Amino acid sequence: MTEAAIVAPSDRPRPELAAMRPSVWRRHGGLITGAGILALILLASIFANYLSPYDPLQQNLRNTMQLPGWDHPFGTDNFGRDIFSRVLHAAKLDLMIGFLCVLFPWILGSVLGGIAGYFGGIADTIIMRVVDTFSAFPFLVMVIGIIAILGPGLISMYIALTLAGWSMYARIVRAEVLVVKKAEYVLAARALGFGHGRIMFRHILPNVITPTIIFAMTDIVLVILSTTSLSFLGLGVRPPTAEWGIMISEARGFILTAWWMVTLPGLAIVLVGLALSLFGDGVAKWLRERG
Amino acid sequence: MSEPLLDVRGLSKHFGSTGGLVQRLTGRAATPLIAVDDVSFSITKGEIFSLVGESGSGKTTLGRSLLRLVEPTAGQIVFDGTDLMRLDPAALRAVRRQVQMIFQDPYSALNPRLTIRETLAEVLRVHAIRPADRIDARIAELLSLVGLPADAADRTPRHFSGGQRQRIGIARALAVEPRFIVADEPVSAVDVSVQAQIMNLLLDLRDRLGLTLMFIAHDLSVVRYLSDRVGVMYLGRIVELGTRTQIFAAPRHPYTQALLRAAPRPDPARRTTQAAIRGEPPSPLNPPKGCHFHTRCALATDICRTVAPPPETVAPGHVVRCHHHALAPV
Amino acid sequence: MPILDVQHLTTQIPTARGILTVVDDVSFAVEAGECFGLVGESGSGKSMTVKSILGLVPAPGRVTGGAVIHDGTDLTRLPQKAMNRIRGSAIAAIVQDAASALNPVLRIGHQVAEAMLEHGIARTRAEARARVIDLMAKVGIPAPGARIDDYPHQFSGGMCQRVVIAAALSCNPGLILADEPTTALDVTIQDQILKLLVALQQDLGLSLILVTHDMGVVAQTCQRVAVMYAGQIVEMVATPELFRQPRHPYTMGLLNCVPRIDGPETARLTPIPGAPPDLAHPPAGCRFHPRCPLATDACRAGRPALTEVAPGHFSRCIRQDALTADMWEAAHV
Repeated sequence: MTEAAIVAPSDRPRPELAAMRPSVWRRHGGLITGAGILALILLASIFANYLSPYDPLQQNLRNTMQLPGWDHPFGTDNFGRDIFSRVLHAAKLDLMIGFLCVLFPWILGSVLGGIAGYFGGIADTIIMRVVDTFSAFPFLVMVIGIIAILGPGLISMYIALTLAGWSMYARIVRAEVLVVKKAEYVLAARALGFGHGRIMFRHILPNVITPTIIFAMTDIVLVILSTTSLSFLGLGVRPPTAEWGIMISEARGFILTAWWMVTLPGLAIVLVGLALSLFGDGVAKWLRERG
Repeated sequence: MSEPLLDVRGLSKHFGSTGGLVQRLTGRAATPLIAVDDVSFSITKGEIFSLVGESGSGKTTLGRSLLRLVEPTAGQIVFDGTDLMRLDPAALRAVRRQVQMIFQDPYSALNPRLTIRETLAEVLRVHAIRPADRIDARIAELLSLVGLPADAADRTPRHFSGGQRQRIGIARALAVEPRFIVADEPVSAVDVSVQAQIMNLLLDLRDRLGLTLMFIAHDLSVVRYLSDRVGVMYLGRIVELGTRTQIFAAPRHPYTQALLRAAPRPDPARRTTQAAIRGEPPSPLNPPKGCHFHTRCALATDICRTVAPPPETVAPGHVVRCHHHALAPV
Repeated sequence: MPILDVQHLTTQIPTARGILTVVDDVSFAVEAGECFGLVGESGSGKSMTVKSILGLVPAPGRVTGGAVIHDGTDLTRLPQKAMNRIRGSAIAAIVQDAASALNPVLRIGHQVAEAMLEHGIARTRAEARARVIDLMAKVGIPAPGARIDDYPHQFSGGMCQRVVIAAALSCNPGLILADEPTTALDVTIQDQILKLLVALQQDLGLSLILVTHDMGVVAQTCQRVAVMYAGQIVEMVATPELFRQPRHPYTMGLLNCVPRIDGPETARLTPIPGAPPDLAHPPAGCRFHPRCPLATDACRAGRPALTEVAPGHFSRCIRQDALTADMWEAAHV
């Protein structure tokens, strides 16, 4: 090879290759953090009965509005109830609502969206027009409307959140099914004489689930926020049940005098929301990398 | 001369011929896309018949139409004496065991969620090809038939290369013990060294299992290696049909000749500077009148522009659709 | 004085599985006006070599060794800004999928002119427009004056590739790097584009580095060729010599397993057994030895270097003098 004069405008040494490899933390830090916080909250809520120092419903009128201290880590509310215990018990309720009110729409939406995408034609048209109708209403407006018809309460909240939330899943699943339907392994399944049911449940749906899981993660956050909003408005859980939204609502009047009554349940909501977001993004990233 | 295993007569596939709602409302006639235009050919048992053409020629649509994965618009597909077009879904399902397909893209031909064992076992179970206790043994047999190790069965497709996935696809097609396989460009998406392995595998399987193959490709050199007979497609029509020797040593259609000239030969001594053919292939949505090829053909005359050339037999088994084939230089 | 001198180029990519050495000690030189071919299968490192030359290795990969000398400067050490001035003007690139190389929302004329205006070759819009029409005619696009305002979706695959070539030529580069420019095209269009590239290269006195996996393409277009395997150049020589007398088992294996359009009909192809190695954990010694019928213990140890085994003919095989035409046949008996 001919030798040519090498002019190096930059004499920077090249970086060590080993240093270039991103660590596990760099790659999956969000997922780990989110999962960790969620795990803590989940455990706390499962063992709420053991971890709470007091009964969440027990009033102690001689001990109202106490500042957070050794006795009461989060202080007490206007009825003398221990806020820490109430927050823990509320976690159980809120997480369950969040999970179920994403699970039901997910199932309903996936089935309908799958049918629409796979069969096309008249089924597709009908289902998608129904989806369009449901999507036309703003989420909270629809939820409030349904609860207004059914009357406030936990069951009504489940029904309302499911009906308001399924349409998005249907859209996502239908779009993914339209793509997967054309994949060669689906064509192969048809060529092998497999029936519609087998193709749908064994070959198509498992391969369209990933985007719905990613969406569901963020949806849990929204549902929990909606739950707390509804309870705040008096349309969800009834007092004296411990639920973050109700706790904030009842403590509205005491913001300036007893800030811990409002702030600490609020922080719990923020923490769960943050953990779910980190976890959801982390899962999405991990699923994407896995291919 | 034995009775053909597959006899295709007048097969056509039009897309969009029913027109959409808007078109029906406005009264505008929809121009259908004629992907396959009145195609006829036959394949004898044990033969490898290749269909060669470029993109837009309709070869993939034709292959899928044979299995009715795409529903043909017209024509007959007579397989072993039965017209597949007349079968109801139940009867068609029974025939599916005899006619199978291998696909082009090894990266989308396998369900990424299932292990190889699950994929193959499903086929064996659905068609009741083996009792439950003999399924694993059969899976091992199939894998060894396509040259894969037995421990491949418990992994998912992600762990395999393109060539290996293609072999798994072949194993899946063989699981139903078919008599006829349509191979849709199975070697187009793999490397040259793997391509040779897969081609030899197909030849071996044909010899050992007595299969009949229809091979769809765009690469003429591959076609020459594998085929007994060849059909050349252009914009939905078979323009030339013949044995391997006839097509490669004595091609009569200007398009076939251009394809042969255009293929780059691994021979530096024979270099040409002139392109084999001028112009672009016309859009299938708006095919030229008369002979589809006339826009790019040096021999085109008035009759070519108006009348579609009928199939003409120039030698036993050698059919050409060209008004001027006699003049075409060899 | 070669227009491009690649010396011991090494590019590595850190991954979860390990560090992949995708370009391993690659050295070659391209003279002015020469058409040089880089041929290999997928994973051979041919595309990565081109990306390394252009400074476009995708993160977290990086060029970790060697030099690429162009016009007296080592391109691998240039900061991005300086590299931007060279890319598109002195060195132009043509990619594989032309349709996706073009921005679907911009007119063709705009896209061809972009580089000219950016690098100051054309000073006004009008000047650029005139040059674009000229270039489009040169690459064989009919009615360029009318089609200059069309969008990419109005062009076929072959036409898109011609547009990409026109854009590459717009700043009068001395060197064009073409990465599998015809792989995605039909064979008749591929033929047109290749002939066009060769004609342009000769008319304009350009140097062309053509990356391909097709031995036929190499035979028809390149003057010299380097065969790549597992990130290394295993053989490099003038094209006629490569086909007349290959001096590496891999090259010979490739030539034996490619079906021919002419020649005897009944010859059975002999495929190369096995598969290319995992670049994270390549085999010790010669990378090809697990698949090579000539492999000996000496092949399994040490790092064979690219040596000149005949005048102008370089090979990385220490046993290349034992190569015979029927070696592959014999190995399969």
